[in-house]
Order: sequence, then C-alpha cells, then structure tokens
Amino acid sequence: MDKETRLKQIAGYINKMPSLPISVTKVIDICNDPRTSPADLNSVIRIDPVLMGNVMKLINSAYYGLSDQVTSLVRAIIMLGINTVKNLSLSTAILGTMSNKDQFQALNMDGFWRHSLCVGAAAKLIAKHIRVDQKNLESFFIAGLLHDIGKIPLNNMLPTEYLKAMSLSDATNQSLVKSESAAMDINHSESGHLIVHSWKLGEEIKDAVVYHHSPENYEGKNKEIVYAIAAANYFSNYFEIGFSGDRYPEKPPEFVFETLNVTIDWFEDIEDTVNEEINKAKIFLNLKK
Amino acid sequence: MTKIKFWGVRGSTPCPGPDTVEYGGNTACIELRFGEENRLVIIDAGSGIRALGDFIMKNDLPKGPLKIDIFITHTHWDHIMGFPFFTPIYIPGTEINIYGPVTYEDEGLDEIIGSQLRYRYFPIKQSELSASINYYPLKELTMDLGDGLFVTTKYLNHPVLCLGYRFEYKAKTVCTAYDNEPFLNLFPTDPKDPGYDEDAAEEGEIVAKEENEKILQFYREADVLIHDSQYTNEEYLNGKMGWGHTPFETAINSAHKAGVKNLFLFHHDPLRTDEQLTDLLDIYRKKIEGKSSMKLDLAQEGLEIVI
Repeated sequence: MDKETRLKQIAGYINKMPSLPISVTKVIDICNDPRTSPADLNSVIRIDPVLMGNVMKLINSAYYGLSDQVTSLVRAIIMLGINTVKNLSLSTAILGTMSNKDQFQALNMDGFWRHSLCVGAAAKLIAKHIRVDQKNLESFFIAGLLHDIGKIPLNNMLPTEYLKAMSLSDATNQSLVKSESAAMDINHSESGHLIVHSWKLGEEIKDAVVYHHSPENYEGKNKEIVYAIAAANYFSNYFEIGFSGDRYPEKPPEFVFETLNVTIDWFEDIEDTVNEEINKAKIFLNLKK
Repeated sequence: MTKIKFWGVRGSTPCPGPDTVEYGGNTACIELRFGEENRLVIIDAGSGIRALGDFIMKNDLPKGPLKIDIFITHTHWDHIMGFPFFTPIYIPGTEINIYGPVTYEDEGLDEIIGSQLRYRYFPIKQSELSASINYYPLKELTMDLGDGLFVTTKYLNHPVLCLGYRFEYKAKTVCTAYDNEPFLNLFPTDPKDPGYDEDAAEEGEIVAKEENEKILQFYREADVLIHDSQYTNEEYLNGKMGWGHTPFETAINSAHKAGVKNLFLFHHDPLRTDEQLTDLLDIYRKKIEGKSSMKLDLAQEGLEIVI
C-alpha cells in the first residue's frame, strides 16, 4: 500500500476517532449525570487527547466561525456551555464503546495515556518556567497532550505494521519515528499533522505536533511551543513516565534546552509534580460514583 | 428614519390574562422599518408575529408583493412558535428570508423552524406553503442588507446558540441582546472546593470578563438596546443561574457602561404582572436618576419608537 492510500485511510478514520478506552466509562458516567459540574467535565476531557481534540475542533470550526483561535478548554467550556460540551464528549466516548476492544494492539494503552499526559503537564510547567503569558499556557498543555495523537490511527488501523516498526526500532536501536517511516512509509508526525490540520487546531499546536521530533528543522514563529514539546517528550522518555513505544528516542539538540533554560536538574525538580498530576487523573478515572 | 414596534415582549411562553394586559402576553417579536421605503425586518417569530402578519396583510400587501427578512435570535420555542400563524407564508409571490444561528448537532434552520408545520402538530405541511422561503444559517458577522442597512451579529450566552443583532441604518443603531446571561466563571474559585484548580479558576475569571466585555462592545453607543431582563437579581441568585437570562440590575448597569441611549428591558418573565413590571420600572428609574443619562423603558406590546 503506498503512502498516499495510507494517508487517505487515516483521513477517513479521523472523524470517527474514539476517545481512549481508559476514559470511556468515566466520560459516559460524567456526561449522563445531570449534576455534573464544569470542573468535572474539565477534569475528564483534559486527560484524553481525542476528547480534548474534538472540543477544540468544534469551537474552532466553521459552525461557530469565531475570528480568534481558541486553545483553552476552560474558555471552550465557558463559551460553548456545559450541555454542548457534554453532548459532544458523550458522542466521542460512545464511539469508543463500539470500537474494537483490541484497538491498542501494538502500543500499550495505559503507557500511551501516561506519556501523553506527562508531556502535556511537563510542557505547561516549561511554559510557566519561561514565563509564557497566562492565556497561552493551555496551548502548551494541549500540544503536549496531543503531540503523539498521530500514533492512534497508525496503531489502530495498521497494527501489524506498527508492531513491525516497533520491532525494527528495537533491532536497530533507532527512534520509533524513523522506524515507522522505514516500516510503513508514514510516521506519527505526518499522521498527527493530518489530524490537527483537519481539526483546525491552529498553527501553534500543529507546529508542535509536526516538529516534536525535529525541532532543528523548525523555522516558524512558534519556537517556544515546539521546543517545549520536544523537551517535555524527552523528559518523559528519560524519566520513563509512561511509554509511547519509543525505546530509543533521540535527544533534541542542546539549543532546545538552552532556549528553554531547562536542565536535567530542573526536570528532576518537576518529576514529582508531573507524577502527582498523572496519579490524580488516574484516581479520578477509577473513582466510582 | 428607523421605526421599532414591539409585537411580543414575553419570555418562555405566551401568558394572556388579566395580569398581562398592559405589557402584553405574546412571546418575542419585533418589527423594524427602515427609511422612506418602509423596508421591513422582523426579529423573532414568537407568538407576537401572528398579529404582525395580519397587520402586514392589511397595510403592506395592497402595495405589492411582500419581501420580508426575519432574523431569529435562537431556535427556542418561544422565539419560533408563531411562525405557522404568520399569514404571509401562505401568500403566493411573497419572498421571505429567514436568518438565524444553528447549534452544531441540530438539523438545518429550515427543518427546525419548518418542522413545526407537520400534520402531527399543524394541519398544513411546510411543502404546502405558497411563499418562497429561504433559510440562511448565521454566525458572527457583518452583513450588508442593501439600501444602506447593515446587520452585525454576536454570540450571546444562552443554553443554545443565540445571536444578538445590531442593525445600523443612516447612523442610527438598534441592538438586541436577548436571550443572554452574563458569562460566568464556571470553575470553583475557593481553594477548599474539591474541584478547585488554580489555573482553571484564574483563567475562568479572565474568560468571563473578556466575553462580557465583547458583548458590551457589541451594543456600545446603541440608540436603542433591547435587552434580556427576565429576572430580578434576587430571583437570579435564588435558582435561576445558568438559565440563560440577565437580571434587571446587570442589564441596566451594562447598558449604562456601554453608553446606550435608550434601554428597553425585554423578555419579561411570564409570572411578572403588569403591576410588578411598572413597580420595577419605577424602582430602577429612581436608582439611576442623576447617575445616568440613559433613558430606561420596558418593552411593551404595541409600543412604537422612532429614532
């Protein structure tokens, strides 16, 4: 199958992409409960890359035709209203209950989820560290949460090839993104690009998703967020918080860390905070009503 | 010259009876007329549109085929329920353009408004209407309606997608801001609240402030502002928060801040009696006396204003 056909297949899958199996039950519980608070809704959406992507997609869509890009879940909930966000989340979650239970065949779902959340949380801490304006902090979180979203269609639609890519990475000690290209002609940065472009999530998030493995090639104006995601991704792999299939990640160039003014010591300092956030999310998901 | 006439001023449901004779019991419908040509624009098709339709039949139809623009603020029932009883839809040669916002998961505007005309609800089907009716879904925009008439739209805060309209004609402005509730920070700001999140709390405050400011800018310096005031502040704080409506006090303060010249409070609660409305008007007029040059009025069925 050539790359063109694969990209078309992925484009078809994007619109019915289900939320992560790990959060499906909780989303359905929360959205079916008339007493659900905006804070609960915020808690369950912000820890699922697909749900988060869908809410951002809706508020930035032609349905609303807003002139400003919205990249904050808090703003989206206040502007769309709790009912709209509940209905949207519910329909995304229901897709999850109907999809193949074994959809996470190659990648471990729990590991992927932890990794995504870790990169989101770490990217936001980096943003605070470099004093990014308060109203842009959430863009960093969202970009981190969604940086590997391209792995979902690859892993779900092409599980055999994806396993091959992972084995190739193991056998050759090369990064997963390179092995994906070698084994299946397409990598998760490319399929991620397709998703965030189709969802119209804006230039910042798109650049971060596309360039998180190649910050040295990035020449646009969103360097801070691109570098932050590259660095946060490295942090997650280095400290083994979650696992997104990349056993041999390449270290981003030194200038990435220098620009952000972060070191391994700094990452050590934030490790507990990040772990705490992931554990809080895990407890929230497992909490019985 | 711009003329404004109220044909329905109630919120929620028609409420005819001895207590609503003075201000009227019909739901939302406003007639606007522009210039020498008497160009007709209607805002909302609540139950008030029936009598307006009869008026149009008597006064406009004899002069030639009807051309009518109807702007729906949102598709809640009190704003569309009068449509099947609007006689011009049955008149061949009539051209009606219907504009309004549609929430993403719903059917098109034609289906939402037109599906009231189904045998189950009504003896005539939509397909049997003689007028030519075109539907246009609206978002936030500015549109040139021709003859020097412009309309700008603004999303408001209501449980369904809802637009405010700002009509500008020869340097005169009429604005609507209903149904609308001030944007609130929906996230707990008390650190002791189990759902408290510092960033969300802080951002929520900023967002609510910014969005309310955008609405205020939208009706800035309007000659006439027709604003939601379904509840008093006390009622609002006692169980009506989140219902999508503005308390009197907030509507008056915001309009004053925005430099509105004449505020008409609108979308009266169906339980509000004529006597209560007049009392409330007295109270609030006294409160702003000497503090604001804004003229304060209540929308009243049959009331006509010329600006």
